[in-house]
Amino acid sequence: MMTAKISLRNVSKQFTVRPGRKPGGTATTLTAVDSLSLDVRDGEFLTLVGPSGSGKTTLLDLLAGLSTPTSGEVLVDGQPVTGPGKDRAVVFQQYALFPWRTASANVSIGLEGKGPDGRKLSRRERAAKAREYLTLVGLAGFEDRFPHELSGGMKQRVAIARSLAYEPDVLLMDEPFAALDAQTREQLQEELLRIWRATGKTIVFITHGIDEAVYLGQRVAVLSARPGRLKAIVDVEIPDRDGDEDIRSAPAFVEQRHKVWTLLHDEVRLAQDAGHRKILPDGAVQDEPGPEEPANRTPQGSPESQERSAA
Amino acid sequence: MSATLTKPRRPAGASAAGAAPAVGQGTPPGKPATAALASVTGAVADAAFRAGSWLWKATGILAFLALWEFGPLYLAAPSTRVFLPPLHEVLLAWGRLFESGAIQGHLAASLSRSVLGFGIAVVAGVSLGLLIAWYGRLNSVLNPLLELFRNTAALALLPVFTLLLGIGEESKVTIVAYAAFFPVLLNTIAGVKTVDPLLIRAAKSLGLNSPRLFQKVILPSAVPTIFTGIRMAGTASILVLIAAEMVGAKAGLGYLIVNAQSSFLIPDMYAGILTVALLGLGVNFLLVALERHFSRWRTAVGA
Ligand SMILES: Nc1ncnc2c1ncn2[C@@H]1O[C@H](COP(=O)(O)OP(=O)(O)O)[C@@H](O)[C@H]1O
Ligand SMILES: [Mg+2]
Repeated sequence: MMTAKISLRNVSKQFTVRPGRKPGGTATTLTAVDSLSLDVRDGEFLTLVGPSGSGKTTLLDLLAGLSTPTSGEVLVDGQPVTGPGKDRAVVFQQYALFPWRTASANVSIGLEGKGPDGRKLSRRERAAKAREYLTLVGLAGFEDRFPHELSGGMKQRVAIARSLAYEPDVLLMDEPFAALDAQTREQLQEELLRIWRATGKTIVFITHGIDEAVYLGQRVAVLSARPGRLKAIVDVEIPDRDGDEDIRSAPAFVEQRHKVWTLLHDEVRLAQDAGHRKILPDGAVQDEPGPEEPANRTPQGSPESQERSAA
Repeated sequence: MSATLTKPRRPAGASAAGAAPAVGQGTPPGKPATAALASVTGAVADAAFRAGSWLWKATGILAFLALWEFGPLYLAAPSTRVFLPPLHEVLLAWGRLFESGAIQGHLAASLSRSVLGFGIAVVAGVSLGLLIAWYGRLNSVLNPLLELFRNTAALALLPVFTLLLGIGEESKVTIVAYAAFFPVLLNTIAGVKTVDPLLIRAAKSLGLNSPRLFQKVILPSAVPTIFTGIRMAGTASILVLIAAEMVGAKAGLGYLIVNAQSSFLIPDMYAGILTVALLGLGVNFLLVALERHFSRWRTAVGA
């Protein structure tokens, strides 16, 4: 793969889990991602599925530069990732909008520093850019709304506009549509595809919905249950993908989805068994969020519900 | 948007009625005639509703004032009657004090002390609070100390301040500053510490460096909590000041109250108490409005 935009080389990430509050507990290490190697092509739309707790968010943090791998290398454009950068943007499941800023001010926050050319945009230029990107995500006219005045789908649109506004090459999305209702989700999926085609961004899209993964991705990477390893990569080949037909009921789509489902099935069961081990014998909860970790660290969605969404 | 923005600007008492005018103001500009009609009917309904709710709320106050006026005459024993003058006598005394300019003088003395002390406390509390919250090490060193000081009743330290600073303005301003300092400090620390970690992650992923993260995310997100501390500090500063003025002062509302009592000018004493009550009410009203203004984005967060 000559033109790898993102390259993960033997990446592992371990966490030190604090002992329980009872005395005598010892710190243990938890391997969230285990020697994972993966290349993402420039301009590719890659979806990543895996059971809850398989290290998807951990992987995304590594790509975003929000954390560093315990071993291995994370390369973007052949350069090791040393921290967050303007070449990558993250969209979080819980929107993560700044509630004291209007939609427009949320979108333009990434533009307030010096741009790549070392020039600072004026307030008016920033507002114009924010309007441009809000229009792109279908929110023209909502510039002055505060996040609490927007629906979940609109909030996620603002978040997408915010991540696009400073024109990153790579969009990293962590279950961005998981909290939305089915109709809004479908709508946003389509718009994301439209934006992807229009902008040619490289997108890494994490999801636990198999349908979503197959619908959006050119390739679907399947992670194994914890510790997260790359189990398989499925090339999604659906003829006439851009047609008007409902591709979700096309035979090719059903077939690909079944393939991913089968791959994920065993892993989900494994994760389910491992789930019992999440409470350590001394009563400590392994999944305690650290200071930097939001609430989404606790596994969302039981394995059963994943199976159901796959069925 | 107009609905949510106008609501907090209303006085505390009318917030229940806030939804009614929003109907009028929130009408889209497309249909001027219906919009105007809606806003007229909305305003009328709102006014009526508001008048009703005010009447309801005033009942308690009116009953209390009536009790104050007639209670001493009909309910109190003759021996205690002299210590409980009816309302009209107190109001007359207040009028006399106002005419002579005495009450204004005492109010000005109290106000200037509390404003100065409160101002010092806010500036010191916010800046130290930000420092402590930002530098974790500082927090672990200072926290036990702060815990000790904050649990020491401010008035217990009044003799110390008086010994060190005399009975003049300095000791009173200092004790007000001391009492007001802790609510501001502790709320500032709490405000910074309870910033949603997801927002910090988002800000970092957007490429904000530490100073800008602080300025653009941590500070704004802490502002509502800081203002809660400031409101608490306002209440505390008046409380402590009046007590300090009662112990040793030559002017101020606290002085007016004890001085009237020892001179057996009982209606004057109540006039002083009434002024303190109104002052407290006014300050609290102002600070609540300020707090609301700065936390308006917090309405319906998570909804
Ligand atoms: N900061 C952390 N400290 C300790 N354990 C963590 C931390 N972050 C994630 N983990 C653990 O790593 C595993 C993978 O988590 P995560 O990447 O959030 O999974 P996913 O996003 O696939 O559901 C989980 O078992 C989780 O508890
Ligand atoms: Mg996750």
